[in-house]
Amino acid sequence: MIRQFLELIFGQRLLDIILDSFWKILLPGLTVTIPLTAIAFSLAMVIAVAAALAQFARVPVVRQLCRFYIWVFRGTPLLVQLFVVFYGLPKVGITIAPFPAAVLVFSLNEGAYCAETVRAALEAVPSGQLEAGYCAGLSYLQTMRRIILPQAMRTAFPPLSNSLIAMVKDTSLAANITVVEMLRATEQINARVYEPLALYIEVGLVYLLFSTVLTWLQRLGEQRLGAYENREG
Amino acid sequence: MLLTIQGLRKSFGDLEVLKGVDLSVDKGDVVSILGPSGSGKTTLLRCVNFLETADKGTLAFDGETFQLGRVPKKDIARLRKKTAFVFQSYNLFLNKTALENVTEGLITARKVPKAQALDIGRRALSKVGLSDRMGHYPSQLSGGQQQRVAIARAMAAEPEIIYFDEPTSALDPELTGEVLSVMRQLAGEGMTMLVVTHELAFARTVSSQVVFMEGGVVVESGPAQEMFHHPREARTRAFLQTGGKSHGKGVES
Repeated sequence: MIRQFLELIFGQRLLDIILDSFWKILLPGLTVTIPLTAIAFSLAMVIAVAAALAQFARVPVVRQLCRFYIWVFRGTPLLVQLFVVFYGLPKVGITIAPFPAAVLVFSLNEGAYCAETVRAALEAVPSGQLEAGYCAGLSYLQTMRRIILPQAMRTAFPPLSNSLIAMVKDTSLAANITVVEMLRATEQINARVYEPLALYIEVGLVYLLFSTVLTWLQRLGEQRLGAYENREG
Repeated sequence: MLLTIQGLRKSFGDLEVLKGVDLSVDKGDVVSILGPSGSGKTTLLRCVNFLETADKGTLAFDGETFQLGRVPKKDIARLRKKTAFVFQSYNLFLNKTALENVTEGLITARKVPKAQALDIGRRALSKVGLSDRMGHYPSQLSGGQQQRVAIARAMAAEPEIIYFDEPTSALDPELTGEVLSVMRQLAGEGMTMLVVTHELAFARTVSSQVVFMEGGVVVESGPAQEMFHHPREARTRAFLQTGGKSHGKGVES
């Protein structure tokens, strides 16, 4: 019944292509796009928190290195970074397989942006919190871990969620270094059947589906993290 | 003497805020520091607990003497575990409940077993009249309640001395009473307290010693009764006559 209705709109050939390609697009989404995002974003978080803490604590030298790293990775295009690592580095004897190369570039790039988010969130925690920690007998590290960071992460959560959602979509750039993620899988199908409008809209919808799930998870996360915040003041 | 400070000096850039302050606190003393805004009272208190680094002077605490300005970090950490600080703006840990605020320093810094810490925490909170607010976050408490949690946090650590930095200055007048009565109770139990305050009635009725500061120096100090009834210095007299509000009640740096 539904199939007959859809056939009426798309025609039998196009409908077959759409239905057939759906799993062929979703599968690399589940096995490549999502793992790539998950691994790279986790690494980016580690980099971001470390780089933010080093700047917040004003560790000399390390702080300058962090500024330099952020300057480079925020100041150059992601696609150029992918090309340098994947096509460029083999020239000096460093050959990295497509997937690890993508993980490397995405985590470094995202880490640079998120470091600034986390640093701003750390600076937004009232300075009295650190003093209260000291006066309660806590060390600097104990205060950071138990008082300052949890509050900063609460503040940073919405913008970090933003970055995560952006990253899911940015992984499509990995198609350019031969990672067969969703977009490249779609291109391969299109090369056979040439239905660019239907296929590219279809892959777009799968990205939209992923983003929607993440948006929903963000709301859930904010509710849990917001337990100590009384919005009515 | 539990605490003796001699020749404490502190400048912020070109501005000399403390110009050689001497002060001593005996065990069981309640010492109030009075003085107009900008006299350096708060800075003094912050230097004593190393929240600011003094430029010069000596600090003797509990039998040990330190040269201010170059006290090693581990000594600072050790000294802080013997003291507690109550801030003007409460500074409760915003991500912790009232009970967790009280137990945090016990569990994390002093390695008190959790069950025992919770027990101490509950007792401290009920002592300040907040048994029914233990699971509340600071954002769910009034200013007066937050300050009482802060006092519970301070006393739970069983410190040698509690420093109070204008504990009621951020509160509405109707809420200062509940905080002052908790402090009065604490003084009655023999807790050693060093209190920067604008509450003259509190200073007169609760403290044993009063220190009057102005312009970065101690103008006069002595037993509370003597200071209030027979002040020697003209400046002290003028300050007390205007009810301690001659220079407003502004927030000090």
